[in-house]
Amino acid sequence: MDNKIIEVKNLSVFYGSTTILQNIDFHILRGEIFIIAGSSGCGKSSLMRQLIGLEIPYSGDIFINGINFTNSSPKVRSQIMRDFGVLFQSSGLIASMTIEENIELPLREFTDLDDEDISEIVKVKLSLVGLAGYEEFLPSELSGGMRKRAGIARAMALDPDILFLDEPSSGLDPVTAAALDNLIININKALKTTIVVVTHDLSSIFNIGHRVILIDKSINGIIAQGTPEELKQYYNNSIVYNFFNRIG
Amino acid sequence: MEIKENICLVEKQDTNLFIHLQGDVIIQNAKYFYECLDSITIEDIKKITLDFSKIKNYDTFLYLFTIRLEKLCRANNLAFEKLGLRMDMQDFLNVLAAKKTKEEELAFTMNPLIAQISSIGSGFVRVIKDFYEFTAFGGELFLHFLKLLIHPRSIRWEDFPFLFMRVGVSALFIVLLIVFLIGIISGYQGAIQLKEFGADIYIADLVGISITRELSPLMAAIIVAGRSGSAFAAEIGTMRVSEEIEALRSMGFNIFEFIVMPRVLAVMLALPLLVLLADVAGIFGGMIAAITTLDISVISYLNQLQKALTYEHIFTGVGKSVVFGFLIATAGCFRGLQVSGGAESVGKYTTASVVMSILLIIISDAIFTFLFQALGI
Repeated sequence: MDNKIIEVKNLSVFYGSTTILQNIDFHILRGEIFIIAGSSGCGKSSLMRQLIGLEIPYSGDIFINGINFTNSSPKVRSQIMRDFGVLFQSSGLIASMTIEENIELPLREFTDLDDEDISEIVKVKLSLVGLAGYEEFLPSELSGGMRKRAGIARAMALDPDILFLDEPSSGLDPVTAAALDNLIININKALKTTIVVVTHDLSSIFNIGHRVILIDKSINGIIAQGTPEELKQYYNNSIVYNFFNRIG
Repeated sequence: MEIKENICLVEKQDTNLFIHLQGDVIIQNAKYFYECLDSITIEDIKKITLDFSKIKNYDTFLYLFTIRLEKLCRANNLAFEKLGLRMDMQDFLNVLAAKKTKEEELAFTMNPLIAQISSIGSGFVRVIKDFYEFTAFGGELFLHFLKLLIHPRSIRWEDFPFLFMRVGVSALFIVLLIVFLIGIISGYQGAIQLKEFGADIYIADLVGISITRELSPLMAAIIVAGRSGSAFAAEIGTMRVSEEIEALRSMGFNIFEFIVMPRVLAVMLALPLLVLLADVAGIFGGMIAAITTLDISVISYLNQLQKALTYEHIFTGVGKSVVFGFLIATAGCFRGLQVSGGAESVGKYTTASVVMSILLIIISDAIFTFLFQALGI
């Protein structure tokens, strides 16, 4: 079986006449923590929106488990998208619902599980992210870090093959961000979930990343890829070297 | 992942029941496993053996299915055995089971009776706290009014024309329409009663006084509370959510002078003007009802109205509306500033602002009625 869970070929993204990404190629292996890094505005979140199917690329193909996700029918795309769990920058929890109802939502919508099992899954997933006992809380009653954890619990509700995390540590203090990094590592190890993280946070990249691609505005594409340690030693390009060797 | 039937086979060997799981034990296949569980009869069974050896793919549902069977065995005093459990599956089940145990340790349970009493108590405390905070807010607002008398430029007047336009001019049509219709309704209702006593002409008194003293100020205030009070709460609440209020505070702006006072003044000035115009619309509505149902001419209606309606009637209504305006804007701004968290909180406090405004309008109207009665106005 091909070990590539995602393969991106010749992908280009434009907003109007503005080029965001041009002709990029990379792949993500099953079970790894893959980092999409880059400075603000370089197009890394746009790339994630293409990967999760919220936007259709201008040109190029995205293959998920060997199936062409870009050219698939809406029905197939929707089926593939159910294998994704996504944590958005602002968590994306529905404010009017409790944490329990947020996690229940995809389970009630997309499965035949009965109430007892749904309730059990909510407890298990919340326990997994360290939020046991917070079922009845509203998102607004949780701190930023807790909301991110709850967002991850909801993203994991359907046991996704791939978990996408958009800037998981943004807006969090270093201690909370480090705890979230540990959670990401634990989920990857315990559940063997492939995790794609969009971030520019260096400590997260080095803590959790197995492989990294660095996107840069100057070429509207991937300027370097490899393990975090490899990119730290990347003397051939000053942009890459400066990004991975900056302080803080 | 494949989704198919025959992924859960039940086989009975003497007193031992074998359940063979095959293929994909995943959430999407849940219904087939439920059917499988439903088909189980535990009569003459002493042991259930769950066979994991032919499982291809699995997810959290494997954990759910296993604990379900374990529970079933415990409840019926049956032995339970796991067969062919691979290392990776065991690790996976351990991760979920271990977390569950931790969760159970952390779970906080409260006696339902105590929880009920506690919820009533905390609700009462919330109301008291709310009242205290609103009073404090009103007090601070009053101090800013005093300051305004000494330093008229202390508030942000730039916003005032826009706010006055939004509260007053934009609401004019709906206020006039509603009070006009209220005038017609009260006119018709009054006409039926007065006709029986031959007191037809007093329809002008009834409509004129009830519209100017009560109905017009009340209706206009309720409409403005629904339109502008709620808009203030939502607007300020959204500013709270996006931290605009905090940003203004951090820059040294006084929120009362910058946000609250222009809104309160706009409503306090716009509402009396709306009421004056609404008085005319309501009286006109009553006149239409009178001349169409009773044998009264326009001239006699207006003559009688002139006799019945004094400045006192008009100004008590208009005067009350100044206070109503103050209460509506204060409640809207107060609730808006209470917003915390996200979009859900904005909705909650916007609704609360309308409820609070209407409640305050009715309470203050009752107080005015009592006072005017006592003072003979």
